[in-house]
Amino acid sequence: MRVDEFRTGLRAWLDEHDLRPVHDGGLDGELAQLSRVRRALFEAGWMRRGWPEHAGGLGGPVILRAVLGEEVMARNLADPGLYTLIEVLAPTLIRYGSPDAVAFVPTLLAGEETWCQGFSEPGAGSDLAALSTRAVRDGDAWVIEGQKVWTSLAQFAERCVLLARTGGPGHRGISAFLMDMDSPGITVRPIKTMHGRDEFAEVFLDGVRVPAARMLGAEGQGWEIAMSILPDERSSCFWQRITYLYTRLDRLLAEAPAASERQIGEAYLDLHAVRSRSRLTQHRRDRGETLGAETSIDKVLLATAEQCLYDTAREALPGVVEYGSSSWQEEYLYSRAATIYGGTAEIQRNIIAKRLLSLGDE
Amino acid sequence: MIDASDLALLSSGLRSAMETEAPDGLDAALVELGWHDLLEEAPDEAVALVFGLLGETGAHAPVLNDVLLHSMKRPLGGVVALAESGLAFGRPCVASDGLDPALGLCRVEWEPLGAEALAAGRRALGFQLVGAARAALELAREHALARTQFGRPVASFQAVRHRLAETLVALEAAEAALGHASDPMTAKLGKALAGRAGLTASRHCQQVLAGIGFTAEHRFHRFARRILILDDLLGSASALTAEIGGDLRAAGRAPRLVDL
Repeated sequence: MRVDEFRTGLRAWLDEHDLRPVHDGGLDGELAQLSRVRRALFEAGWMRRGWPEHAGGLGGPVILRAVLGEEVMARNLADPGLYTLIEVLAPTLIRYGSPDAVAFVPTLLAGEETWCQGFSEPGAGSDLAALSTRAVRDGDAWVIEGQKVWTSLAQFAERCVLLARTGGPGHRGISAFLMDMDSPGITVRPIKTMHGRDEFAEVFLDGVRVPAARMLGAEGQGWEIAMSILPDERSSCFWQRITYLYTRLDRLLAEAPAASERQIGEAYLDLHAVRSRSRLTQHRRDRGETLGAETSIDKVLLATAEQCLYDTAREALPGVVEYGSSSWQEEYLYSRAATIYGGTAEIQRNIIAKRLLSLGDE
Repeated sequence: MIDASDLALLSSGLRSAMETEAPDGLDAALVELGWHDLLEEAPDEAVALVFGLLGETGAHAPVLNDVLLHSMKRPLGGVVALAESGLAFGRPCVASDGLDPALGLCRVEWEPLGAEALAAGRRALGFQLVGAARAALELAREHALARTQFGRPVASFQAVRHRLAETLVALEAAEAALGHASDPMTAKLGKALAGRAGLTASRHCQQVLAGIGFTAEHRFHRFARRILILDDLLGSASALTAEIGGDLRAAGRAPRLVDL
């Protein structure tokens, strides 16, 4: 099934099936809505397109996942950040998981389960390879000790894709696991964030036993697994975020009809820039090309566009961020993180300088 | 469509003409190399190729006239005013006043440009701006790697690296947008992003080139001059951005212009 056929069919289906949210905007409500949307799209087959058949999908080009995300965002059916999480979780399982682990993927696609990603640590943010959570082999299990941070939705998750150190320092000593979040020894503490939506958590791991069969890939392959997420994050995920931002600009135009032309133009120009760039990236991926350092350009453009858009909203709707209680306030604050999560703006520029411009070492 | 091997051959032929011919000779040399046929047969590719190379090499031939004439379905080889002031690329190309005499700007009678011609012209200038920005980036990159201060190449300082990274981001964005800039709105967006990329490249590359970049003995100044004029012609980044904002306000919606 190709893009146009998929899009036309999907739009017709969405016109007939009302999945618009009916909740108060809280995190619990968002998650329930997300499950509802996923379940309906999974049962109708839309959510299964672009995912391999052995993982519960219906096959077809990966680009269909971006098209689905675009339509979901265009209708504001789900929170964009929460919706895109599967793009950084399921592909890892599919590529590196044992058949038993892959068997979990449909539960994720169908909205039956929520998963989280245990990568960052207090001492390993931008420098992820410095992570110090340890996994020690004990019979048929690995015993995990350590701490994770910025783990989105850990307090809601049934499972976690976890990185831990099984060997010496550096990239090579890291392995990946699929850990059940109800295992004894796990303590989750949600983090209060400045935008008021406590979707992140700290995860304390105190002698948590993970069956040896739940290791993803081989021992020491964790870094490769973590990096393999990049193409998914930088293609489908980004496209969904971009299309979501267009809906925000639509809303701004509706709410601020007298906004400065120059500022609206700047915000739109930034969105058009990242959309044009990301479109090329989606098609490169669709043709089977390997995505790499050049997607740091997409990342910089996306973060820039997001912050410019919300800066424009703040100026065009005076006081809406400072005094109101509309969602602009939360969204504005969240946009400040766009240059931090998923690799800071500085790390992206370092990668561009070294890998794309061949400027040598710092 | 031009196939890949023909394109590579054509590209090297065009580049070598641009690097060796004087402005007046280049206009004729491009015709010899098949510019008119290319424009008739594969205008999108021809314009992307020729204007990208003009930008990169810093050469000039008054071929923007042909792009406008082609979209107006008039015979090629004439001169078309680009602004109400009558500003145009002269044919033959005679050194003129202003920031970039090699462009041979002159004044002719003004006739308002139709939307299609305007779009075609903006797209062409966009490719030239991106080419010029790439050339400026390459000059700054080479300098940063070669120039040593405090016992290390200046390319090893993060502040310098980030300026160059920022330049690459801007020009890649513009190039992506120009890939789909065939109608009036996308051409406007493409030209605005290209103007922005050009100005970004000028600012960052001049700073990285520092002293040497301020001399007329280094090639950088030619690109800096050209970028200012290319940005201004047929709508600067700043003017187009405001115009685009006005279009959006009038429509009340942000169009999604490039689909998967």
